[in-house]
Amino acid sequence: MQWLKRIRIAVAIVFFLALTLLFLDFGNVIPIGIHGFFISTQLVPSFIRTLIVLSSASFGLFFVLVITVLFGRVYCSALCPLGILQDIVIRIAKRLNKRRRFKYKEQHYILHYSVFVLTGVFAFSGSVILLNLFEPFSNYGRILSNLVSPFVVVANNMLGYILGLFGFIFLFPIPILHINTGSVLASLGILALVTYLSYNHGRLFCNLLCPAGAFLGLLSRFSFFKIVIDKNNCKECGLCERVCKANCIKSSSMEIDFAACIGCFNCLAACPTVGMSYKGRWTKLSDTSKEADGGRRNVLKISVLPALGLLMPVIRIESTVGRIQNGFSENRQHPISPPGSLGVKRFSTLCTACHLCISSCPTQVLLPSFLEYGIAGVFQPKMNYDASYCNFDCALCSQVCPTGAILPLDVPSKKEVQIGKVQFVKDDCIVVTKKKDCGACSEHCPTKAVTMVPYEKKLMIPEINNEICVGCGACEHACPVRPSKAIYVSANQIHQKAKKPQSKKTEPSFDSSQEFPF
Amino acid sequence: MDRRTFFRKGLGASVIVGAAFAGKYQNLFAAPYEESDLPFDLVAVKGGEPDVMLKKGMEAFGGIGKFVKKGQKVVIKPNIGWDVTPERGGNTNPKLVAEIVRYCRTAGASEVYVFDHTCDNWQRCYKNSGIESAVKDSGGKIVPGHTEGYYHEISIPHGKSITSAKEHELLLSSDVFINVPVLKHHGGARLTITMKNMMGNVWDRGIWHRNDLHQCIADYATYRKPTLNIVDAYYVMKQNGPRGVSVEDVVTMKSLLISTDMVAIDTASAKLFGMDPADVRYIQIAADQKVGRMDLENLRIKRLNV
Repeated sequence: MQWLKRIRIAVAIVFFLALTLLFLDFGNVIPIGIHGFFISTQLVPSFIRTLIVLSSASFGLFFVLVITVLFGRVYCSALCPLGILQDIVIRIAKRLNKRRRFKYKEQHYILHYSVFVLTGVFAFSGSVILLNLFEPFSNYGRILSNLVSPFVVVANNMLGYILGLFGFIFLFPIPILHINTGSVLASLGILALVTYLSYNHGRLFCNLLCPAGAFLGLLSRFSFFKIVIDKNNCKECGLCERVCKANCIKSSSMEIDFAACIGCFNCLAACPTVGMSYKGRWTKLSDTSKEADGGRRNVLKISVLPALGLLMPVIRIESTVGRIQNGFSENRQHPISPPGSLGVKRFSTLCTACHLCISSCPTQVLLPSFLEYGIAGVFQPKMNYDASYCNFDCALCSQVCPTGAILPLDVPSKKEVQIGKVQFVKDDCIVVTKKKDCGACSEHCPTKAVTMVPYEKKLMIPEINNEICVGCGACEHACPVRPSKAIYVSANQIHQKAKKPQSKKTEPSFDSSQEFPF
Repeated sequence: MDRRTFFRKGLGASVIVGAAFAGKYQNLFAAPYEESDLPFDLVAVKGGEPDVMLKKGMEAFGGIGKFVKKGQKVVIKPNIGWDVTPERGGNTNPKLVAEIVRYCRTAGASEVYVFDHTCDNWQRCYKNSGIESAVKDSGGKIVPGHTEGYYHEISIPHGKSITSAKEHELLLSSDVFINVPVLKHHGGARLTITMKNMMGNVWDRGIWHRNDLHQCIADYATYRKPTLNIVDAYYVMKQNGPRGVSVEDVVTMKSLLISTDMVAIDTASAKLFGMDPADVRYIQIAADQKVGRMDLENLRIKRLNV
């Protein structure tokens, strides 16, 4: 039976390419609707989002649950980008070593469900650290945005340069502003781990660490369709076991551990006879293999594991919110979370750090954090006003966020969200220290929360008004004072509403019916 | 004045700078103030749409052919600094830019480039200002200026606060430079007109802000003299500049000024704006450094009504 495998591969190629392109689409060419469609099929993000609010992502979640209950863990082979990445590695491994074959192995259920339960307990008590470490979609996103995207940008820049020499000007150089070494190293680590495991042990990551795999495995025990070995027709050749990436077929006893099966259908394609089939439950079970049920017993054993959640306080160290060095004022609150996230703490408990917002941000103001949100929020994005500032008329990050950690905003409502407040250090300002005009901060301010008012000797000096400040960081970014800027944004722990800027209608000093004043 | 006579006149330090780029770059280095062979020093037009006013104004000067010769490479520098729509008056009117591009094409320019070193995200500025599509539709090429790679070191021999800058390569490689600012209020510099608009020619603007903004604006103007300056005063931002907050900041003046003299055109524009030119320090400094003339009463000004 080849056709199931072929369908799986076709779907996998579509999803893998689409999800990959979403993270590499630095020109933001792909419409938000297409983003939403593919992202909604990702289990963990859509699950978190559904907990927050019913949205189109909930349809995606429902779809994944339904197909799992019907067909088993086909999600892992057809929709999960990290799973498909492992399949690519496995394929390469196979190319390099043609005699390579898989063998049945006891599944590590205790470890896997322990990780799963701990991850869940942590997540529900407000620390997404384990989810961030093991969740496949976010890991794949981080691998792309931290490791692949910079190379794509460099390739774009080089190609653009070469084309430019011949007079073709349509690929423009893109600066790379959002690199965080810690995040790059961590992504490299995960990529190395996933590659190592899949190269040597097939889909071990999915049956050892992945929370989505654990959850779907539980669900697939109740699947309507299951792969079964037909004892009457099986020739005991063992070909199915050899091609099983999940090591879940025991051909000697004609058993399949379906909870570990990732639904790749390679076994069905490999079976030379009709010894294997993919059957609905009404099939008489007496003739077919029984599930290897070691797993089910293990599930019971792990019911004590939630107790391990008591370890929580050890890991959920209160974030470093509060003070920051770098020569800024002591009062500076840091980090600043993006508009739509409602507040630093809420954001930090819901973001799985997939970095889709980072790769979508047109101004590259979003940067992966390291420990700024605390250990629990490692690699979550923060606003980085050294590199850039938040474009006033843009709300893209909120529209692409898969988990709802950043809730969708339209541009008019985004303009009223205050993510931080401007602080002015008058004693460091050029106007005071050098007695010269500057005004770079006020120039860039989109709401005129920073205005220029008269100072000594015809000079103008900035004056701030936090009622209308949105905390976009334009002033801080533009401030020419070094090393520490004379104007900066301090985070709002809970985002607030900024008043709409009011300008008085101006009177023309001249209109075209008058004579020129010169 | 062609390049050979330019060199023969031996204009001091600017020749040294010119020599540094000789062969690779055609040049447009600022010469000390000199008598012009044009019929007017300044042409001011009011009361029409940008394209109509430009037509009348250029006719008064004797046509675009006075400035753009066949086969020349032209670079136009409008103000595209902000991610705002045309009626907000934050950027140069796209209709005007498009029309200038068309004029240059008609005059036989080999290439017409348009760029700005924007403040907001460059792609959003180019798009939402309407200038990107206007330029493309009228046969010009719009080029970015958002990375340092586009900018090359130049020296400013007459500079007092700054003696060097990194300037966009288009300026270094073009024969004709047309400076097309929009007249606006400016929190730091008071007004942004032709000389302030040239701040978008260079890479590092923080240095200017740190080292006496007005002096730096005038310093750069001693080095770079546009072939032609066209000031867009159709929509004029009277307050909250240079970005503006809403259309409430903008008034409709329906005017256009054209001159080769940046000081003269900035002086006239300041008066049009309703501000005393002497209060805009860089205009005074530039006049003192002989970039151009503030004494409008002694200049040949043509005033036109559409």
